[in-house]
Amino acid sequence: MEECVLQIRNLVRDFPGVRAVNDVSFDIKCNTIHCLVGENGAGKSTLIKILTGAFERTEGTILLNGKEYYAKNPKDAREKGISTLFQELNVVDQLTVEQNLTLGIEDSRFGFLLKTDKIKKIVAVLRDLEPSINPKEKVSRLSVAKKQIIEIAKAVASETNIIIMDEPTAALSESEVTRLFTIIRHLKEKGVTVIYISHRLDEIFELGDYVTVMRDGKHVGTKPIADVKDRTELIQMMIGKTVIESYQPKEEQAAEMLLELKEVSNHKLRNVSLSVKKGEIVGFYGLVGAGKTELVRAIYGADPYEGEIIYKGEKLGCSPEKTISAGIALVPEERRTQGLFTMLTIKHNISAMNLRRISKFGLLNTFQERSTAKEFIGRLNIKTDSMEKETSKLSGGNQQKVVFSKCLFANADLLLLDEPTRGIDVGAKSEIYSIIRGLAREGKTVLFFSSELPEILHSCDRIYLLYEGVVKAELKNGEGIDMQEIIRIVTGGNAA
Amino acid sequence: MKKEKTRIIDLSLSTGKMSNELYLNLVMVGVLIAMFTLGSLFINHFFSMSTVLNIIANNWYIVILGIGVTFLLVSGHLDMSVGGIVAMAGVLSAFFCQTQNEGFSELGRGLGLPYGVAILLTLACCLVIGLINALFVAKMRVASIIVTLGTMLISRGVGQVVALGAQRSAGLPDVYGVIGNTPILGPIKIAAVIAALLVLIALFIEKRTVFGRRTYLIGANREAARLSGVKVERHIALLYLLNSLLAGITGILLASEMKAGISTRGTGFEFSALVVVLLGGANINGGFGSVLGMIVGALILGVVSSAAYGMLLRPEWQFILLAVVTFLAILAQRYLLDRRSR
Repeated sequence: MEECVLQIRNLVRDFPGVRAVNDVSFDIKCNTIHCLVGENGAGKSTLIKILTGAFERTEGTILLNGKEYYAKNPKDAREKGISTLFQELNVVDQLTVEQNLTLGIEDSRFGFLLKTDKIKKIVAVLRDLEPSINPKEKVSRLSVAKKQIIEIAKAVASETNIIIMDEPTAALSESEVTRLFTIIRHLKEKGVTVIYISHRLDEIFELGDYVTVMRDGKHVGTKPIADVKDRTELIQMMIGKTVIESYQPKEEQAAEMLLELKEVSNHKLRNVSLSVKKGEIVGFYGLVGAGKTELVRAIYGADPYEGEIIYKGEKLGCSPEKTISAGIALVPEERRTQGLFTMLTIKHNISAMNLRRISKFGLLNTFQERSTAKEFIGRLNIKTDSMEKETSKLSGGNQQKVVFSKCLFANADLLLLDEPTRGIDVGAKSEIYSIIRGLAREGKTVLFFSSELPEILHSCDRIYLLYEGVVKAELKNGEGIDMQEIIRIVTGGNAA
Repeated sequence: MKKEKTRIIDLSLSTGKMSNELYLNLVMVGVLIAMFTLGSLFINHFFSMSTVLNIIANNWYIVILGIGVTFLLVSGHLDMSVGGIVAMAGVLSAFFCQTQNEGFSELGRGLGLPYGVAILLTLACCLVIGLINALFVAKMRVASIIVTLGTMLISRGVGQVVALGAQRSAGLPDVYGVIGNTPILGPIKIAAVIAALLVLIALFIEKRTVFGRRTYLIGANREAARLSGVKVERHIALLYLLNSLLAGITGILLASEMKAGISTRGTGFEFSALVVVLLGGANINGGFGSVLGMIVGALILGVVSSAAYGMLLRPEWQFILLAVVTFLAILAQRYLLDRRSR
């Protein structure tokens, strides 16, 4: 009988309008590599942030080695035995390897740093992990992989018995990944428990002892990897199965061409070419960092690009005010920082994108503005007691409906939706889906960018798959669609 | 169950509760009335029409400056150059219309232009300062406080150079003093009436035009404003140009009042203007504030300082008194707004 190092019991974390972690309970056995998988928004990150003390929990208990565990902040968590390797590396480029390793734990006398055994010990740990790193070297000269190893060395040296790794391979090359895996196995031999988070399922089969799957904030299951048949079973657990059936294929129509991209490139995108017909809902699916936001911002003219974008037969200008007046509107990725004016009222938000429509010669018609706000609050079912309420006081779902109202009021023929359901609850999500379908029925065209496959499969007629700024494949949605194939392509496999 | 309950919403009474802005303005009007009542209770002859008129006559210029500063602050920007522009405009308006007569000393000789032309030229010079602000803040995105502290020194420097570090008062045509000295009602001169007109225009622009609305959008969220199709850079540039014009007008009016272009005029006005705008409830980070609030703020300071005068408080204590009032008022505003949003 193996012992459990970490027991999570009925853990809950609420955000305004969303339950990000919903009654999650599972155990992590001592000295194992425990993988955590789930789609974006499944609640993995929130769970990890609770473990490391970055977030407070709303309810629930966590037992560490049988004792009640509660971390005030990441430093506190490390002292109690849980350290984390974040996606963003916490190394100081200007310092040497050795200085980085001892950062924050230096011994000093009269304000002068001392060279103690502690430093020697940490350097020894590093040499053990990766002998090729010179401790006197400046960190800025090291590769990402080596910087990561420095952080691992720091975690090992602080003698924590649990190390959490949040997508450690995201920025690594093939050979570096192999090297990292060797190190992780080495850690396991030394008695460390590793919690490993990754989107790449192959890694999980290669490395893991156990896997826990999360979906929509809930715990779907925890299994020994040996009991998992194949990728399909894991993917099934990740995305559930009910959603796909609800897509209704539309009749093929010979619609006119609306939008065409020709060899569009910028800092992220590589020669993206695609075309969209009037009335279509086109999905763009890819993992985080695949270039979805960069693509949507290029189309909208928010970022510069090379190449040509043709809209309604004419070359599209490259600035938001030009694309808006051409008839395009954007629901941006970051609702609170890019979409909403949170200090301002619902009424003032809804009219913001098309002030021309409620004004004449630059003079506002405030009566028309009020009736517009009233119309959209009713039409999109925005829950509020007044149109004069600041949007900062609304829940995530209602805020997003305000952003949608803003775009609908702009009278656009083409709507760009970048992660339109991020951070909103299930009920509001389904309302957003029905708004999207309603728009398509009215003859609007929708580009739907998401890193959640079920909602893409649920809503879109056609799907482009993105990987590293490249359009890897184009698929037609329908019964025969192969989800495993999709997952394989967006995780870096080649299209068949 | 719960869902059904929240869905029953009465939108027929369209607006619902009052906005934070209206709430805050009402509170500040209350404070103003309280201050005036206190003054009337403790000071003989304070409760009179002449007190009210004097307060207006002594504070109109800060209201004009406050208009421009309000708009800029609402958009999330500062302008510290207004005091310098006041001095520069006063000196230049004098220099442009002083006689070319050889008989006067160097400080008494000017370009001899008609007064109207002198005003237009002066305003054009002020626009140049505004243009520098616009270029660096809007286009090159340098922090507004850095840029406008620079232009504050430049404009005051121009005033100093043209007035040789002193003032230009000799050899001015009679028309130079007309707008600053022609009485309308008691101590109120034409200049104060111009200020009132500008206030009316500003109130209209702020609440009833696309221009005013865009100012709020930019201050509330610059990136969202850009993504909503607002030409953010152009708008901020326009605000700086307008503000330099308003400061120029203030300088011309004040110089007319004194019948002299004084190069030290307007020292500290940029701070006074900022104080009344903040007293009026504006958010230093933008997105919130109003011209109406600013006027109430200016009146509160006016009442306090004339009450202090009436209580024979020595003038050197005035600064500290005003500081205390400002602190208390801004603390009270924060407290009330925080409590309200709960």
